Amino acid sequence: MQAVSPLAKTTTTKDESQEQMDNSFSTGGNGDFPDLLESIDFGNLFVGINDGDVLPDLDMDPEILADFSVSGSGEESEMNTSVSNGKVEDNTEKNEEDKVLGSGSGLDSSLSTRGEEIVSKGDESVVVNPVSKESDNGRKSTQAKNNQGKRKVKVAWTSELHRRFIQAVEQLGVEKAVPSRILELMGIDCLTRHNIASHLQKYRSHRKHLLAREAEAATWSHRRQMYRAAGGGGGKADMTPRHAPTMGFPPITPLHHQHFRPLHVWGHPPMEQPLMHMWPRHLAHSPSPPPPPKWPTSPPPHPSYWHHHNQQRVPNGLIPGTPCFPQSLAPARVVPGIPPHAMNKVDPGIVVPTRQSGPHPLFDFHPESIDAAVGDVLSKPWLPLPLGLKPPSLDSVLGQLQRQGVAKIPPTCA
Amino acid sequence: MGDSSASYIHMVQHLIEKCLIFHMTKEECMEALSKHANIEPIITSTVWNELEKENKEFFDAYAQSKSKDDRMSEEETSQMIQKMISESSKDSDN
Repeated sequence: MQAVSPLAKTTTTKDESQEQMDNSFSTGGNGDFPDLLESIDFGNLFVGINDGDVLPDLDMDPEILADFSVSGSGEESEMNTSVSNGKVEDNTEKNEEDKVLGSGSGLDSSLSTRGEEIVSKGDESVVVNPVSKESDNGRKSTQAKNNQGKRKVKVAWTSELHRRFIQAVEQLGVEKAVPSRILELMGIDCLTRHNIASHLQKYRSHRKHLLAREAEAATWSHRRQMYRAAGGGGGKADMTPRHAPTMGFPPITPLHHQHFRPLHVWGHPPMEQPLMHMWPRHLAHSPSPPPPPKWPTSPPPHPSYWHHHNQQRVPNGLIPGTPCFPQSLAPARVVPGIPPHAMNKVDPGIVVPTRQSGPHPLFDFHPESIDAAVGDVLSKPWLPLPLGLKPPSLDSVLGQLQRQGVAKIPPTCA
Repeated sequence: MGDSSASYIHMVQHLIEKCLIFHMTKEECMEALSKHANIEPIITSTVWNELEKENKEFFDAYAQSKSKDDRMSEEETSQMIQKMISESSKDSDN
């Protein structure tokens, strides 16, 4: 009988409603919904208040709707207006939305919580707080008060909201993302173009900031480590003196200096898991079916992002270009008499040995040139890798070394 | 410790890449790095292996080009180079 047992504390007065509720549950008919909603949550909670047709849930529905659907957000304004009127017809309309959007039980629990809160507020047309539990869908906290942005309402950019924003921006391309398009893609009616525009501006500037800082920190920290390693190993005296990074950031020690970790989401506490991991699962609520995400498969034009994933799926932008395959290196073979332009693919840092041709192996290398190259690497570790090969995972390398009996690196006794 | 290990490995990778530009073999690389940079050959070897795993294509092509080089004679190489020179001079002329 009681389909919603914890919520519907049966009262004798609401017996028929309960039956209706049952019917509604089993049949899922539209017309039953108003009663259903009443009886489930409000009927019991608003025993005194509820007249049957007049529903406090009118107050709540906009909140529910906002939570369960961003696509249906267009209804919100209607609902807002209808809220004050408190008409049943609107209720029916909303109920359909609810049915579409929310599962029955989920709806119930949320309704009940809200219902409780609403009791205290009575017949207010606007309810703000109770929806806090459902705010994970990126609803603005002040949404209830926002009537189509007649006045500039402060947007609370929740992480979910922000995620959708990023989604939209990514789809459009960060440089080409236009607020109006972003707004369309996000499909959240409560956001005005102005909101988006200002958020976009902040986002872009923040990204640049983070990019520069990360690059600087990575190279600077790496350089610091290299000096330590090189100093311990060779004790080279010609080490370039360390100079403070121009940006003056505190020594961040990014272990994965070549891989961008998800950076601190501006405006929000640092996310541990990249939001993008959850991205596909939340597609159900997205208004327009998003195209398959471009960014995981294509090399991003922009290295670091707030929502970057921990996995090194994204090749980071610091690694310069693509690895030079040996085909391009072939002409760079050391044969005397080759004018330099034939060897344009060779790292210019490498000195071309000049020696007589003869029975020597074709790719003999002068110790000096090797020494020069090696010294180059040791003294200027911040230089980009000449070939830009994909680095192996640190764990596997260390594991391999340990298996072979190499305990510490850099080895103390070189 | 993990931090310096990462940088160290990165350095070794950098050095190996430099050797690759010289078309060195793994053994030659191990020797060179040991001699010039005081890097234990075992480390060079390990990093090289790991790099090879991660960049299989590159190393395959690298090995191919090296074997091709081995097979080519001096004259063939000189001819090839001469051809390249003439081609590039043609390009530069244009």
